[in-house]
Amino acid sequence: MLYTIWLLPLLGAVVLWVLGPQLRERGGILGSAAVGLSFFATLTLYRAAGTTPGVHVPLGSWIGGFTFGLMMDPLSLIWVLVITGVGGLIHVYSIGYMAGDRAVARFFAYMNFFVFAMLTLVLSDNFVGLLVGWGLVGLASYFLIGFWFERPSAVAAARKAFVINVVGDVGLMFAVFVLFSHTGSIAYTDVFARVRDLAPPVLLTACIAIFIGCAAKSAQVPLHTWLPDALEGPTPVSALIHAATMVTAGVYLVARCAPLWDSSSAARELVGTIGAVTALAGAILGIAQWDIKRVLAYSTMSQIGYMIMGVGVGAYEAGVLHFFTHAFFKAQLFLAAGLAIHALAGEQDIRNMGGLARRMPFAFWGMLIGTLSICGVPFFAGFYSKDAVIYGELLDGHPWLYVLGVATAGITAYYMFRMLFIAFFGRDRTQTEHHGEPAHASNVPDWVMQVPVAILMVGTIAAGYLDIGGDNSIWSRFLAPDFAGENLLRTGAPQISDMVSSAVVLVAVVLGFGLAYLRYGAPAALTNAPERLDREARTMPPVLTHGYFVDDLIWALFVRPAQALGMAFGRFLDPVLIDGAVRDTSFLAGVLGWITRRLENGLVRAYAVTIVLGVACFVAYYAFAGIPR
Amino acid sequence: MTPVASVALVNYIGLSALIFLIGVAGVLTRRNPLIMLMAIELMWNAANLAMLAFARAWLNNAGQVFAFLVITVAAAEAAIALAIVLITFRRTKNVDVDEIASLSG
Amino acid sequence: MTLFWLLAVGLVITSLLTVTARRPVYSVVYLIANFVLLAITYVTLSAEFLGVIQVIVYASAILMLFLFVMALLSTSTAPFSVGPDRLPGIVGPAVALVAVIFGLLVYGVTRTPLLIVPRAQPVSAAPGTANAFGSTSDFGAALMTTHLLPFEVTAFVLMVAVIGVVMLASDAAPQATRHHARRRGPRTREPITRERPALEKGSVR
Repeated sequence: MLYTIWLLPLLGAVVLWVLGPQLRERGGILGSAAVGLSFFATLTLYRAAGTTPGVHVPLGSWIGGFTFGLMMDPLSLIWVLVITGVGGLIHVYSIGYMAGDRAVARFFAYMNFFVFAMLTLVLSDNFVGLLVGWGLVGLASYFLIGFWFERPSAVAAARKAFVINVVGDVGLMFAVFVLFSHTGSIAYTDVFARVRDLAPPVLLTACIAIFIGCAAKSAQVPLHTWLPDALEGPTPVSALIHAATMVTAGVYLVARCAPLWDSSSAARELVGTIGAVTALAGAILGIAQWDIKRVLAYSTMSQIGYMIMGVGVGAYEAGVLHFFTHAFFKAQLFLAAGLAIHALAGEQDIRNMGGLARRMPFAFWGMLIGTLSICGVPFFAGFYSKDAVIYGELLDGHPWLYVLGVATAGITAYYMFRMLFIAFFGRDRTQTEHHGEPAHASNVPDWVMQVPVAILMVGTIAAGYLDIGGDNSIWSRFLAPDFAGENLLRTGAPQISDMVSSAVVLVAVVLGFGLAYLRYGAPAALTNAPERLDREARTMPPVLTHGYFVDDLIWALFVRPAQALGMAFGRFLDPVLIDGAVRDTSFLAGVLGWITRRLENGLVRAYAVTIVLGVACFVAYYAFAGIPR
Repeated sequence: MTPVASVALVNYIGLSALIFLIGVAGVLTRRNPLIMLMAIELMWNAANLAMLAFARAWLNNAGQVFAFLVITVAAAEAAIALAIVLITFRRTKNVDVDEIASLSG
Repeated sequence: MTLFWLLAVGLVITSLLTVTARRPVYSVVYLIANFVLLAITYVTLSAEFLGVIQVIVYASAILMLFLFVMALLSTSTAPFSVGPDRLPGIVGPAVALVAVIFGLLVYGVTRTPLLIVPRAQPVSAAPGTANAFGSTSDFGAALMTTHLLPFEVTAFVLMVAVIGVVMLASDAAPQATRHHARRRGPRTREPITRERPALEKGSVR
């Protein structure tokens, strides 16, 4: 059964790859079916076997008795459910969104491959399998971000994502090497069992190397710059990358390696801090964006920061819950935004939208519910998970991280409602001529795109209810087997209770909302919206519009020196060493060729002479060396 | 009648080597393709002789089976080689191996 | 003992005559003699079946084939040496090379533990009886049970050879397929022409 879950998307991808031209539009149905079946197989497996001891299927063994296998415990089950469930909904949505594109089958082949890669990552029972999945996810994201390969910007974005992901892959690979050389095993169970024996510096090295991998994949500062650019792919791809797969891999890895983090408080500090910084940095950048998808991208970065912050400080259940709820509301936000973009034939700039609430109420409600959830309004899913994460900082004794978390919550409310007000309220500012994503003449009914959004709405509202009841909630009991050693590093009881903490967060959210309402949502602000927005665009500080200049920093620090080095090699080293060697080689080849041309004279008897000479050499060898016994 | 009993294996091997090398010398020196082919047949048979001698010495008839296979393959080789000689003659009106040098590099 | 030496001398002489004969027809005759002697040697090695095969298949069938080909080509030596000898001084070096190899072989054989083989292992049953080593029934049993797969493979090799000879011998057929390959369409099949390919002067050196 585990095989079925794992291999169905691969099968779908292969079939779509091979039969793509024949399938055309039907490819979408096939791709969705593969992922959907995988989802139902997961449910069946869960019902049949449960997950308490974890389902384990060995795949085979390698030199030296290393066994590879698939494993499903509660943690991976949650990921598999989200990947195949939310991923499946995104597939269905894509049938509508991609209708009319020339390469629908290729698109779904990549999507299925992406799901397969992610399943490999989460189902593996050892670090090497994880690494394979890790790499495949990077490859799949490269394919999908660069899906519209005729656009130079898409190709550049795909390359950027791939390169930065490789940085992470190298980090993770290094971590696996370190762990293997010190524990002698690659299986999770063996490694974690021997964590206690590791020397602290080794452990810290491994943790940091693992986290470099996480940071690249999960867009943590300073390796986050690929994420906003990744929006060059089609919107469903963004939804898949941001919600269900890819960026959450880092969260998975940190949660999976909980025993490592539980043994190294220094590593925990690092991860928690970077998560909090990312959360805040992403949220602040979200304020300055005009592209609806970029707002969502920075919100993803920010929310992943929350998750990393949660799992980093040991609040694993909270972090994973935030992943779970985030998968719903972020997928919903992207898909609802996609509805608007699709209807506006590729327009993504919120300054050119306005008043969409009347034109497309369904998309508006989707956005609204998603926004409420992401901001952490009570009774929506995001509230429960975000509060748990923020309160987890306090439980773990990190008041500063707590403050950062609360501030981020307020800023989140501000920029999300800013986007909502500008795009969906006020006067209609849409223009007739558009560019950007190609417009499609679609004959796919609207409900194909609306039903997935509607199903996601249920999750966006209800996913958090699993956690009601604190330590005794369904969620905590479900994940308990994975995080047994969780509370080892917790120090003391927090100063304020859970309820008070929620109230503090809520105040921050209301403040953020109020500010957004005053600046963008109030009647006075709505009437002269275009002028105000123009002025704001002109006065926006460049540090925000350029993403803190991180790209320029990377350019100056790494790309420029590498280019200079390349130039130096090209100018000095290459002509002498490489070309010289090549010239000498060609001269040698010429001499050899002259000799062999003498030999290759077409005379059969001359050839026979060479054969006999060879025989003589053999005979001489055996005559003098003797016959081996 | 067990004649092999009185002759050492080495003698058979030596005889085989001698016939084989006469065949080799024939291939090297003659320019008539038919005689070259016959020299090759000599080499096949010399190898067969060695195998049969070993088979007798070890009383293992795998050697005999292999000799049988060699005869079959030799027959196939002779048939194809002669066919090649024939079509070469048909195309170029001669079968002098020194003249047919289109393999020249 | 005496028989072996007689056979050995006969074999060497006929072999030498085969490779040195002036005309191929003489070569064939010497080769037939060589093969008959060899068949007798096989019988002395308890390989009765192979001795018979040697006469029937080799001395008769294959060498008859040689004779047929000679008849088809020409009885004279004309087609066999039309140009100058391009390796004129090969005889001396070739003989020297062969002699060196023989010397090496003798040296190597004397150093190997070849002589651990028992000088005279008695054959289990009297030669000529049904189940003796090398008898037809013994050999046939081995061929059809233990070595069945090589046997079948041999059949396959023969079939391939037959097909190859048919392809080669029907001179027009390879010409026609070459035309098709050049024309690129499998559908544009043209009738196989029987015309001779033009003889180009340049193709013969």
